[in-house]
Amino acid sequence: MMRADRIRRVPMLLSSIVALALAILPLPDAIDAFRPDLLVLVVFYWSIASPRAGGLTLAFVAGLALDVVQGVVLGQHALALTLMAAWATHLRLRLRVFSVLSQSLTIFALLTGYQFILFWVDGATGNPVTSFSRWLAPLIGALIWPLLAELLSRLHAR
Amino acid sequence: MVAMRSNDSAGRSSGLLFRCIVYCLLALGLMVADERYDQLGRIRRVLSIVAYPVQIVVASPFEGWDWLRESLTTRDALRADKLALERQLRVAQFKLQRYEALEAESRRLRALRDNTAGVGTRFIIGDVMDVDLDAFRERVLVDKGARDGVFLGQAVVDAGGVFGQVARVDQLTCEVILISDAAHALPVQINRTGLRTIAVGTGDPNRIKLPYLSTSADVIKGDLLVTSGLGGGFPPGYPVGTVAEVKRDPAQSLADVEVRPAAALDRSRELLFVWLATPLPAFSATPPKPAPTTPPGAHAP
Repeated sequence: MMRADRIRRVPMLLSSIVALALAILPLPDAIDAFRPDLLVLVVFYWSIASPRAGGLTLAFVAGLALDVVQGVVLGQHALALTLMAAWATHLRLRLRVFSVLSQSLTIFALLTGYQFILFWVDGATGNPVTSFSRWLAPLIGALIWPLLAELLSRLHAR
Repeated sequence: MVAMRSNDSAGRSSGLLFRCIVYCLLALGLMVADERYDQLGRIRRVLSIVAYPVQIVVASPFEGWDWLRESLTTRDALRADKLALERQLRVAQFKLQRYEALEAESRRLRALRDNTAGVGTRFIIGDVMDVDLDAFRERVLVDKGARDGVFLGQAVVDAGGVFGQVARVDQLTCEVILISDAAHALPVQINRTGLRTIAVGTGDPNRIKLPYLSTSADVIKGDLLVTSGLGGGFPPGYPVGTVAEVKRDPAQSLADVEVRPAAALDRSRELLFVWLATPLPAFSATPPKPAPTTPPGAHAP
């Protein structure tokens, strides 16, 4: 299975851990709602650029980590992230040749789907979320995607 | 899943679909086990110990900065601080003298009434960790856990008043749900009249609501709310907040009452975990009977 082109997992793990740390970094309340789901974007990047490195296992484990640090029902982020990462992996060959704008739009769709699954699970488990601001995160995420993808591809290439 | 043969790319659609389904079923199973059967306490504890280093790493720069700032404050600032603290201590001691007298009196009266529900007794102090949980819920992570004896449903207060209660206990940390969380309800009593009702969070740390008071209820701006001690979770008599606004619409049967919390819900760093003197009936998942504890209506006897 491991052949000549050895898969390097270090950049993937490193970027995931940094993104997890940024996900719980305390921010002032005013801008907290604008925090993008960095770890989700990182998982999408690795699903698209190098699905053999982490693939759905990375998505599932990262989702579990988010569940634990955010203290929500175990499996919520794992489910959402697994589904959306699978979709991203499915689209990866097309995504790689897309223009930046189309890529961002696709990522926006994926992030919205992700938030929708979270929203749905929140409703199903009886934890009402009373604000609309959670729908901002996909927008911000799509806006910073080109930057993040560039950064991660540099890290990946090294 | 390990046996999946993946030659050029792991994402061959059949393998991808298969693994996606497996992981989704796994996630759904976890959710059901966690939510319905509450079986994952141990797994969650282990996972949270794994996550603890990340949380410590995130929190430490802030703690380091606080430490640095404290060690660099000038002598004058320290002197001013010391004076202010001494003044506060004098006031507090003065109040404490009265408190002891009042406590003795309360004990005598309670003995007369053969009612032994104590005021809070044993405390430990926990620090709020500089870690953001879900941005859309009013919860904080505190550095005390099962190791320190913290238990589920335990009352948490700060210097101003009731802060919240313990929603989840891990080995080293616990999660406290604030009284302002939209999913939190607290049995309270209006101190002036003794009227009992329930205070419900709004999701905004500066506001809680009393949604179950009728328009004719005796409540005015400035009324102090204290815990009623009914429901068993909280010790009675702790301040919850003051009524900030009462809106009475004659067309409605219920008044719209807004309360400003007494605790500094968005600023407190040190929290007190309270143990009751005489253990109240244990907090059980199934409410035993339609108890007279929390009448949702405003009609206090």
